Amino acid sequence: MIDTSIILQAVIDGAGVGLIYGLVGIGYCVIYNATGIVNFAQGVFVMLGGMLTYTLLTSLGLPMIVAVAIAIPLVGVVGVVIEWFIVKPMLVRNSPMFAIILATLAVQIMIERITIMTAGDQPRTFHEFTAGGPLRLGPVAVGYQLIWVLVCSVGLVLLLTLFFKYTRIGNAVRACAQNRDAAALLGIPVARMLAVSFALSAALGAIAGILITPSQYTAFNVGVPFGVSGFIAAIVGGFGSASGAFVGGIVLGVAQAVAIIIFGAGYKTVAALAVLLLVLLLFPSGLLGKRSEK
Amino acid sequence: MTETTPMTEKTPSAAPLLEIRGLSATYGQVRVLKPTNLSLFEGELVTVLGPNGAGKTTLVRAIMRLVKAQGEVRFKGEDVGRLATHDLAKRGIVLVLEGRGLFGSMTVQENINLGAYTATRVELQERRARIFELFPRLKERLHQQSASLSGGEQQMLAIGRALMADPKLLLLDEPSLGLAPRVAAEILRALGQLNKAGLGILLVEQKAPLALKLARRAYVLTLGRVVKELEAGEIGSHHDIAQYYFS
Repeated sequence: MIDTSIILQAVIDGAGVGLIYGLVGIGYCVIYNATGIVNFAQGVFVMLGGMLTYTLLTSLGLPMIVAVAIAIPLVGVVGVVIEWFIVKPMLVRNSPMFAIILATLAVQIMIERITIMTAGDQPRTFHEFTAGGPLRLGPVAVGYQLIWVLVCSVGLVLLLTLFFKYTRIGNAVRACAQNRDAAALLGIPVARMLAVSFALSAALGAIAGILITPSQYTAFNVGVPFGVSGFIAAIVGGFGSASGAFVGGIVLGVAQAVAIIIFGAGYKTVAALAVLLLVLLLFPSGLLGKRSEK
Repeated sequence: MTETTPMTEKTPSAAPLLEIRGLSATYGQVRVLKPTNLSLFEGELVTVLGPNGAGKTTLVRAIMRLVKAQGEVRFKGEDVGRLATHDLAKRGIVLVLEGRGLFGSMTVQENINLGAYTATRVELQERRARIFELFPRLKERLHQQSASLSGGEQQMLAIGRALMADPKLLLLDEPSLGLAPRVAAEILRALGQLNKAGLGILLVEQKAPLALKLARRAYVLTLGRVVKELEAGEIGSHHDIAQYYFS
């Protein structure tokens, strides 16, 4: 019989990783809502966030806050470059959606290969944002990095909500998501809004990568697992729903962590896919997805 | 919605507000709009009539660069044929789409505010006040989701939102579509008011009697081609427009 405190610890740790999946999942939703595209290069933003921060910390010796402040916009620029040079030309030529999705997958692989050639294939990590810890809360231990993950994730979701609801650009991105022609007819530069959505999504991925690297590691190939988990989180929550992706991420992270404790590490992926299938069977539009949407 | 003296007649010597020459558009291999000429002078309300599939919607979408088109489009004498849709809106040409093109999950207020995307905060407040004067019902529905409005209210919102962009030329694609006759008449009455205030309007309509009550000139389009142009004096006396609908 497994001790309850071990399960509880797994739930806490799983929720921490799940918050990261949630951020990646929200990244998928931001792009999907604005363009209708599933960007399979989403995981690569997580990898780049961690790798760039590591490089800025170690090679240039920059303080953490400066490294983070440089890495996030840089990854945002990568997102804009992908939109500008890959997605936009394909949209203009009315390429089929599956072709655009495949193109983003190709971008993911390309960036991974470039990362191996320039930064090597060894895993990298950097120190936690706050030294010391963990906090003891009864039978469970909560690392300071987990608190950082929690605070940053919740803060980001709140900021994104405010951005999309109350800012001119946020409303314009939402408008483009609903009817691009109507948006353009009101003077909204649709192409620029699509670039904004890629930049935002890439920045979210980068933040996820920076937050998770101290407690795990980063390497050229972490993009795929985080990308897949974030994608599952978005589907579980209801594809297109940012709050759904957030909840989906936590559900997924907790399910994986508990499955590892109960059944062993090999069952991590089985647990993720079981959650996906179960949710799709019971809630075909996801946990928080709109039932009436096509 | 700038205040100008309404024109009573077309002035041939003045440069048209909108002039299109040889505008054509294709969907795939099919040429839906054959080379078309059309002009609209400042303060005019011109209607484009024609049966279903005549190419009316393609015409206005081609003007706004929502479909690939060839030919010349001039606005206030300037060639705007190569501008992007959002730049045309900034120049003062705004189209109210067939089906209204509202952002359904957004509130009336959010839709209205997006209409003034390029405006300053002060301009936004001024324009909102004018829109509410024209369509008081929108003010009552401000926080309601636009998808939940009635058809007539949605059309008012679509026109109101377009007016928030402070157009010099308003294009409307079938604004009476799907509306009860009384509501359609109300919408067209509002358009008449706007035109009297000096706004140039290009009205695409299938319901000829409604449109001809307002229009100063009319173009009849069938099978992607202008087959008849009716001048100011001819509209009231012309009774054979129906033949183009059934020919």
